[in-house]
Amino acid sequence: MNYQLEMLLSDQPAVLERVLQTTRYRGFRINQLNMQPAPEQLASRKLKVSMQVSGKQPITILTSQLHKLYDLASLECRTALSPSIERQSTLTQALPRTA
Amino acid sequence: MKKGAQAILHFLTEQGIDQVFGYPGGAIMPLYDALLDSPIRHYLCRHEQGAAFAAIGYARSTNQVGVCIATSGPGATNLLTSLADAKLDSVPLVMITGQVARSAMGSDAFQEVDVLGLSLSICKHSMLVLEPQELLPTLQKAFQIAREGRPGPVLVDIPKDILTGLVPESDEQAASATAMPLAIPAQLQTANQLLAESQRPMLYIGGGVGMADAVNELRDLIDRTQLPQVCTLKGLGSANTDHPLYLGMLGMHGLAAANLSVQQCDLLIAIGARLDDRVTGKLDEFAPHAKLLHIDIDPAEIHKRRQADVSLLGDLKVILPQLHCVGDKQAWREHVSELKASKAFPYAFDHSPGQIDAPQLLRMLSDMSAANAIVSCDVGQHQMWVAQHMQFSHPTCHLSSGGLGTMGFGLPAAIGAQVANPDTQVVAVCGDGSFMMNVQELGTLRRYRMPVKILILDNQRLGMVKQWQELFHDERYSETDLSDNPEFSRLAAAFDIDSDVICCRSQVQTALERMLAHQGPYLLHVQLDHKDNVWPIVPPNTANHQMWEQPK
Ligand SMILES: Cc1ncc(C[n+]2csc(CCOP(=O)(O)OP(=O)(O)O)c2C)c(N)n1
Ligand SMILES: [Mg+2]
Repeated sequence: MNYQLEMLLSDQPAVLERVLQTTRYRGFRINQLNMQPAPEQLASRKLKVSMQVSGKQPITILTSQLHKLYDLASLECRTALSPSIERQSTLTQALPRTA
Repeated sequence: MKKGAQAILHFLTEQGIDQVFGYPGGAIMPLYDALLDSPIRHYLCRHEQGAAFAAIGYARSTNQVGVCIATSGPGATNLLTSLADAKLDSVPLVMITGQVARSAMGSDAFQEVDVLGLSLSICKHSMLVLEPQELLPTLQKAFQIAREGRPGPVLVDIPKDILTGLVPESDEQAASATAMPLAIPAQLQTANQLLAESQRPMLYIGGGVGMADAVNELRDLIDRTQLPQVCTLKGLGSANTDHPLYLGMLGMHGLAAANLSVQQCDLLIAIGARLDDRVTGKLDEFAPHAKLLHIDIDPAEIHKRRQADVSLLGDLKVILPQLHCVGDKQAWREHVSELKASKAFPYAFDHSPGQIDAPQLLRMLSDMSAANAIVSCDVGQHQMWVAQHMQFSHPTCHLSSGGLGTMGFGLPAAIGAQVANPDTQVVAVCGDGSFMMNVQELGTLRRYRMPVKILILDNQRLGMVKQWQELFHDERYSETDLSDNPEFSRLAAAFDIDSDVICCRSQVQTALERMLAHQGPYLLHVQLDHKDNVWPIVPPNTANHQMWEQPK
């Protein structure tokens, strides 16, 4: 299954490594990755990361762990049915981060 | 304005931290210099891993944040095992490491390692302070993160020039707390409905109860509902062990009645527990007839290992008082009660000559020691015997490395617990293998003359590994023989610690009495038969009800 993740991250040391490491550790592959400063949030130094991942496990295994990252400001997850980004359904999760 | 080093100590004092553990070195020297003028008491351990385990012992025995300090490079890498240990057992900890000066960072400077990079997957959060004005807000955040929600360790890496330079006072008020989940009333209602409809409900109690400070709420729930209970390794002490339907620990080395009842229940109520693989055995066959009601503060644990039928996210202290259990469960209670009686562990309380039986010795120790005694242990067979046969009045009384299973945990954790609880009886139950992994901490005991009691259960083996070689590797014993152990009492003597050694059953009671009555630190070396194993055991990839209850 392919998933499209849109993240807003605060630009702290190692923030990208955290996202990449969490993704790998929880058993997902990264197929596409794009990162740029979030233009609308220049003052607060936020990064916008779009990432397409695939994996066998339910995506909540990954998103619930990404939600725990203290440098994550927001996360949106969509199912992409084909490797090209086809937004079929939107699955946004609002989980508090607690661990 | 203060220098960074002074500002840190001032901040710690304001947080109520008056005792820390650590080990000095180059990059952290400014902080050690400032310590000389600070009211904070620093405990010098003899290895950074020991210092961090002591901080963990401090934290786990008090439910407060523990603090440890180390220098850059090797000091920091020596902390990593303990950092991972605290992560897997959700221990609130703040680790402060010195880093080389900012101008030298990234140049492979002397004692420079990328601690932030190394820490990422083994802590709750980690931060590198890159600007003086970030120092105090970062520390503030570190304490908040360590404490809030599901607790955990936070590492703060601080370059030396920030320690020596001036830092502005923090004008930031306490950082706003992260919103925690609040159980939804509709889900609470569904949960209570599940409880009412179930015929055979079972409470499965994890470490979260103690960490949420919800022991009283749990005991109230048990009093109200009279439901049978099992505990995980970290949950031990949460329930009242005298309750007629208290079944003890479940899982790979769980007690027979605990495992069998869970396999038979029709509603499993997981409270602050995460269905860890040591608990579930073969996951597909764990509690196969049960619906799962999963209650936790961490959303990532819900549905992680097993789909929950109903989940309640939030503070256990708030949720537990809202649970009720109506309906007639009497037949189930009677069934569990019979199972408990029929599977009761056959302690042989005889004083006959013969080899010492570790379960019997530990049960005696449990009965003889103070009700609020704190017991720490290492990892292996002796750790499982402690969990099976000792009884604890509170989860803060049982310090055991659960998630990481780190050998060498027992002695330094006991030291930290004794620092936090100077008037409480503290006993470290060590394995002969594990003891040698942080044996240098005998130096810490000697330095501070802390009255920690060390009980070495010596089977001259890496016993747990030996047990697996015997049962699952055709008795092919590879590198598990420790019959060349040092003479432990002479080792103790070198650190001015009194000791005794016993090898037969008739000596046990007197030796335990003498140990507990001794004023200072003490080491009791107990020689066991190396053939003894831990029973029951659930073989790998096997359902818990198919445990082996005794030697074949
Ligand atoms: C740091 C570390 N290394 C290796 C292991 C694997 N291990 C688990 S139990 C055990 C044997 C422990 O021996 P001992 O401390 O004597 O305890 P016993 O099982 O004999 O009671 C080993 C090697 C571990 N848990 N931790
Ligand atoms: Mg041993």
